[in-house]
Amino acid sequence: MAVIKLLSSDNVEIPVEKDVAERSVLIKNMMEDIGGHIDDAIPIPNVNEAVLRKVIEWCEHHKSDPAPPTDEDSDSRKKSTDIEEWDQKFMQVDQEMLFEIILAANYLDIKPLLDVGCKTVANMIKGKSPEEIRKTFNIQNDFTPEEEDQIRRENEWAEDR
Amino acid sequence: MPLHPQTPNREDLDQTWTYLEQGISKIMNDLQQGMDMKAYMGIYTAVHNFCTSQKAVNSSSTSLHHQGGVHRGAHLLGEDLYNNLIQYLSTHLAGLKEQSGQYADEALLGFYIREWDRYTTAAKYINHLFRYLNRHWVKREMDEGKKNIYDVYTLHLVRWKIDLFDSVQKNVMDGVLKLVEKQRNGETIETAMVKSIVDSFVSLGLDENDSSKSTLEVYREYFEKPFLEVTNTYYQLESKQFVAENSVVEYMKKAETRLSEEEGRVHVYLHPDIMVPLMKTCQRVLIQEHKTLLHDEFQVLLNNDRQDDLKRMYNLLSRITDGLEPLRTKFEAHVRKAGLEAIEKVANENADEALEPKVYVDALLEVHEKYSSLVKIAFKEDTEFVRSLDNACREFVNRNKVCKAASSKSPELLAKYADSLLKKSAKAAEEADLESKLDSIMTVFKYVEDKDVFQKFYSRMLAKRLVHATSASDDAETSMIGKLKDACGFEYTNKLQRMFQDMQISKDLNDSYKEFLTNNLDEETLKTTVDFSIQVLGTSFWPLTPPNTPFNIPQVITRTYDRFQNFYFQKHSGRKLNWLWHLCKGDVKATFAKSSKVPFTFHVSTYQMAILLMFNDATSYSYKDIEATTGLSRDYLDPSLSVFVKAKVLNIDPPTSKVGPGTTLSLNTDFKSKKIRVNLNMAIRAEQKQETEDTHKTIEEDRKLLMQSAIVRIMKSRKVLKHQVLVVETIAQIKSRFTPKVPDIKKCIDILLEKEYLERLDGEKLKYLA
Repeated sequence: MAVIKLLSSDNVEIPVEKDVAERSVLIKNMMEDIGGHIDDAIPIPNVNEAVLRKVIEWCEHHKSDPAPPTDEDSDSRKKSTDIEEWDQKFMQVDQEMLFEIILAANYLDIKPLLDVGCKTVANMIKGKSPEEIRKTFNIQNDFTPEEEDQIRRENEWAEDR
Repeated sequence: MPLHPQTPNREDLDQTWTYLEQGISKIMNDLQQGMDMKAYMGIYTAVHNFCTSQKAVNSSSTSLHHQGGVHRGAHLLGEDLYNNLIQYLSTHLAGLKEQSGQYADEALLGFYIREWDRYTTAAKYINHLFRYLNRHWVKREMDEGKKNIYDVYTLHLVRWKIDLFDSVQKNVMDGVLKLVEKQRNGETIETAMVKSIVDSFVSLGLDENDSSKSTLEVYREYFEKPFLEVTNTYYQLESKQFVAENSVVEYMKKAETRLSEEEGRVHVYLHPDIMVPLMKTCQRVLIQEHKTLLHDEFQVLLNNDRQDDLKRMYNLLSRITDGLEPLRTKFEAHVRKAGLEAIEKVANENADEALEPKVYVDALLEVHEKYSSLVKIAFKEDTEFVRSLDNACREFVNRNKVCKAASSKSPELLAKYADSLLKKSAKAAEEADLESKLDSIMTVFKYVEDKDVFQKFYSRMLAKRLVHATSASDDAETSMIGKLKDACGFEYTNKLQRMFQDMQISKDLNDSYKEFLTNNLDEETLKTTVDFSIQVLGTSFWPLTPPNTPFNIPQVITRTYDRFQNFYFQKHSGRKLNWLWHLCKGDVKATFAKSSKVPFTFHVSTYQMAILLMFNDATSYSYKDIEATTGLSRDYLDPSLSVFVKAKVLNIDPPTSKVGPGTTLSLNTDFKSKKIRVNLNMAIRAEQKQETEDTHKTIEEDRKLLMQSAIVRIMKSRKVLKHQVLVVETIAQIKSRFTPKVPDIKKCIDILLEKEYLERLDGEKLKYLA
């Protein structure tokens, strides 16, 4: 099995199986386009070692997953917030890391990982009041009471009654 | 050297674009130099970073909106990159357009293909590098239904079409068409070039509604259309000139070659989509426009048996609509004429004597065989041609010179031919050979209209074969009946099959009669009984008539005659036995001849036996005596005696006179023969001739009954029917047996009216009376 090296933004070379690395569409396309000489480490300027290792761990575990359905609106992917057990455990990291993983997945173009990350965040929001959400994500309320009122009115239709 | 690419400030559009343009330009122009990972990752990251920057330092409207914050969902950056890319591509393509001006014809094709390849390869790279833009900004724009926004690869194609293709396509196409013309003129060309052009044109067809799909619109408009026009002109000219200088046959070969060349062209370097219109064009110019010429040549080819050319003509004309119809008509007329001529020839050659059935049937078959193989080989067994062949054959089988007197001559001769095949003879055909000959009988049979006549003659001759045990093979007989049954149904062969059954029953009957004798007679009596076997045949199934001469049964056999009748009536009371003496025969041992110590065995008819037996009591009788003792009419007596006189069994006095009253017949004790067994049982000619007449007469009778029963059947189900309709339906029902004549049907209706099966109503209507 061919092994390639990825270079994290903090200049750490991480060896990884080609197949695993190619869960990233970015890397897959690049290998395809450039081909041939892959002795050098592939620079990943936007992801640091810790995050990159975490991402690689996920790719490793999912390397033999079937290709995700190409249909963008596939119901199963969008509608459910179900996350398989391994992924749930995988996502039990601090918030900082969770967001880093999401950003990295977006950058590296690893759709299934991006989905898992977003679903995890969605589950953190689900069932919470705005105040609780603010607390969870450490967000300062920067709305004036008037603004808040207006938003509430605009979104009345969505309220549970 | 830094390990990571130096990426521009993510928030500065100008800086970002300058960086990207440098990379893109390298990809567009110098990709063959290779591209390193660092540059690749750099460009990708720059696009990503720009699109994910929180606030772009730019005056574009997007950033302002973003600040407003009242947007549905997150705002996505990217429009500036997209527009800059369009700008870049347009500039690049304008450069190419200018360069293209230096080239023409093949050189232009080379330039176009080279640039197209380079451009599309680059497009693939750039599409990957701008994937982040595709995934987010472009996707959002398209989801919101914005027109004229494409993914980056498609954008490349769109720009190519607008900024370059529209102005160079005509020159490019001219180059392609010149190249193809060269090839049509016999030169070798680089076909891959045309193929590349085709591929490029096809790629440029984009579905307005879904850019991921392609349509053939561009290709059809700019490639297919001019291509077909030029093809049309080229072959119009060529074929006109060729026809003027060459024979039609040569032209057909040319057209055939041209068509297959064009077909090959599609496979080698054109788009499969052009096949249908291209073939249509070629067929119109090469065939349709010359079809009269071809049609006129057809008769000539037929007359000369030019199978290959006929095949060629068929293949060509079958490609156009209505191309074959005139051929069919001519073919049908030609086959009919050939059939009629063949029969006329054999009829004339055999004008003096009776026409041999075999000669007649062979003549029919030869014509059929010849043209059915032509249909098979040259006309691909085209159903229309098969029908024409059938029509023609039906015509000449039923209405030719031999049938002039009566159309029933054909089935009669055919049945006789069948008899000659199925009868035991010295030159009996091999099993397989026989089977194929029977099949060929069926070939002719299929065309025979008076199938009832065939049935009549066939059953008569079958009866004779069975009664006289002259059938060559049971298997062959069964097989033939099977074939007739397949062709005409159970009813048609019912009687024939019953005849076979009777033969089997008779065999069993003889066995049980023998048993009866052993059980009931003492040994002495048994020894003196005459060897005897009998066939008991159902009157209604067998076409046999009782003898039309009186006959005194000779003493010697009366005892057997009585004994069997007793036996039979015991078994089946209430039945009646008619003895068909004229069909019986026997062996007589003759010990009178001085020349041989071994007694001769004479094989004779029952009538002859009665005559010979008289000579046990005296050696000489007057004609009158014999006539009185046997009771035979002269029609039977004279020929029977003549055979004896001719064979010198009997001497006639006065010598050399004809058998008849006033002559005396005496036993010739000097009788000599090389064989011990002498067959004296000659068929009597008078009988034969009368039989044929009888057969024809019964056919007329049977037809009347058939028509009447058909009429009754129809009326029974319809109750009331117009006269005219009844006639039509009757014809339809009977057609499979023979073709009834309208006056005959009317006569039958009259008979049924008389018999009060039917009643006449007003308005030409008839009513069925139950």
